[in-house]
Amino acid sequence: MLTIEAAERSDVGTDLLTRLAGFTAFLHGNGYGVSAADTVDIVDAAAQTGILNQAILRWNLKSLLCKRFEEWQRFDALFDAYFLPPNKCVFVQRDAAPGTEEVTSGGNDDGAHESPATAKHGEADAAAAAGHGASREENLSSTDFSELNQADQARKVEALMRRLARRLKHLVVRREVRSQRGRRLDLQSTIRQSVSTGGTPLRFAWKTRRRVRPRLVLLLDVSRSMNAYSFFYLRLARALCNELKDVHCFIFHTRITSVAEALRDPDPWRAQERLNVLAVGWGGGTRIGECLQEFNRVQGSRLVHSRTGVIIFSDGYDTGDTALLADALGTLRRRARRMIWLNPLLNQPDFTPVARGMRTAMPYLDLLAPGGDLAAIERVLPQLIESLQ
Amino acid sequence: MGRFCRLAARSFGQEKGVTLAADRTADIAGLQGQLEAAGYIAEASLAATLLLTLDLGRPLLVEGDAGVGKTEIAKAFATVRSARLIRLQCYEGLDVHAAMYEWNYQRQLLAIKLLEQDDRPLAAKEKDIFSETYLLKRPLLEAISCDEPPVLLIDEVDRADEAFEAYLLELLSDFQISIPELGTVHAITRPLVIITSNGTRELSDALRRRCLYQFIEYPDFAKELAIVKIKAPQAADQLARQVVAFVQQVRRMELQKKPGIAETLDWTAALLHMGITVINDDGAERIIDTLSALIKTRDDRTGFTPDVVARIAATC
Repeated sequence: MLTIEAAERSDVGTDLLTRLAGFTAFLHGNGYGVSAADTVDIVDAAAQTGILNQAILRWNLKSLLCKRFEEWQRFDALFDAYFLPPNKCVFVQRDAAPGTEEVTSGGNDDGAHESPATAKHGEADAAAAAGHGASREENLSSTDFSELNQADQARKVEALMRRLARRLKHLVVRREVRSQRGRRLDLQSTIRQSVSTGGTPLRFAWKTRRRVRPRLVLLLDVSRSMNAYSFFYLRLARALCNELKDVHCFIFHTRITSVAEALRDPDPWRAQERLNVLAVGWGGGTRIGECLQEFNRVQGSRLVHSRTGVIIFSDGYDTGDTALLADALGTLRRRARRMIWLNPLLNQPDFTPVARGMRTAMPYLDLLAPGGDLAAIERVLPQLIESLQ
Repeated sequence: MGRFCRLAARSFGQEKGVTLAADRTADIAGLQGQLEAAGYIAEASLAATLLLTLDLGRPLLVEGDAGVGKTEIAKAFATVRSARLIRLQCYEGLDVHAAMYEWNYQRQLLAIKLLEQDDRPLAAKEKDIFSETYLLKRPLLEAISCDEPPVLLIDEVDRADEAFEAYLLELLSDFQISIPELGTVHAITRPLVIITSNGTRELSDALRRRCLYQFIEYPDFAKELAIVKIKAPQAADQLARQVVAFVQQVRRMELQKKPGIAETLDWTAALLHMGITVINDDGAERIIDTLSALIKTRDDRTGFTPDVVARIAATC
């Protein structure tokens, strides 16, 4: 970022400049979508307003470097971690939802070279044990995510998801757009075009129905009873995340956590590290209702709209309150366009939805389908696409 | 390099830096005052961001729940700067002809018929037909062809589709619009662009990268009270306090639609209209009659039994 000339002028100004520039790198390490251009911007802004007033610096950097709500929420904590000495971090506002704050450590030395890989697993464990919703049922042992990167099944899963994605791209909505060949005459356009032929409409303009891809929200149950399927579903989710832009993936057990960012990470090993941090509690108990309610409260209004398909991957074994589950599912159902539940146990010939959670969920679902392995998902694909229509 | 040296000299020199920061603090307070005079209560952080938007000439992207006053920012800011407010309301299916420009083809047709009798050469006639006289300016073209820099409000950009977003990006980076028949129209002055989004669709990273970002939360008690006092001065102090406390309680409940600031003001008006001057648990029945101004869905409404209302009212 800085030229040699600047480095040679090792005065106070350069040090401050390095520190300021290092903040962008620090945010980048924490998963912010910031670039070198942003560094130039913050230096520009600093030139306009000075840097000696902490509040102004904070507001300026916040509006320049945050690009979305999640980043906005985490910013104050990161700012304090980087710029304030540790004992002054007291006024950090931690009203963010639990699980959204995975601050990589060590912002107080020159944090410019921190990478997410340094986020310490042990710390995350300790944090979970100390508070936010951790329970006795929660599994605190670490999970081995290396399985996610094995190539044996990966290619088949990717191929299948690519097929699903391609089919989804062809969904249409009622809204019409102009097109070369269409179903209906676009009168306005036709008259407009006729101007060039002296008012005689020689060429017709047409309208056709617009294509639109639905947004997908994937909710993966990773509790103990789902152990045999969790990795398969996670792989499925990752393949889908890489195919389509508007896919949002969450894992839940006793808490719910967003893993979309981690799954999209192009570096497989870094993705694994990030999942390690996120997956505290993997393979523990299940409280579907509470998790869905948490999801509704934190993400629901932002993420789920009338073009959203919600797909839940779960066996429906629930230890939580069924009334809560019904309530949460009802809320989610009203917001979303379609609600689909893939149950791996449905494959078994003698299956009846006896699991408490499953029985509660039945009235709210548009589609309940089996999905224990690749073949089952493949069979159910046409139904899936039809119900997302 | 020059930039960095200048910066080190300008900003990081101690005394200069202190004056800069002091000036800025004064500016921010000043802008807050002006916005308040225009009927908008802004936190210092928002005022600071607005000033930065002016300094850097970048668009400002405002997100937040419905009813937190995103659109009002643009209106108040236009009043403060005594600039024109040009508003583009986005919707699904919004296209270039509704957002940028359209030829007035009825008039053009008429002109063609009239020009048939004209002896001028064809090229001249054509030039005449495709002149600015026949151009209908839509908000975006209007915004870049004003003499004084206006405030351009692009409302609910998430409702328009991705293709429009891409078109918008082009405008926001170059501030020029190319019209095939007429040529390229360059901006006379750069409008101040405020974009709002409700998050019905994820915006592209490219658009986010280009903008400054501000997330507006529901107001806290003090801020909302100040707003009620400005917007509904006829409400007595005690009632205003109680109304705000009540609404703040309601927002903490699990509701499908949380009441925004507009709902608070509506409800205040409704209470005044019903002649209710104090909120207490005795008057729960009468309060329920006015709740339609505050609670907007049937499911939410069923939760407000007289008991619940009385309980909330008792804490106000």
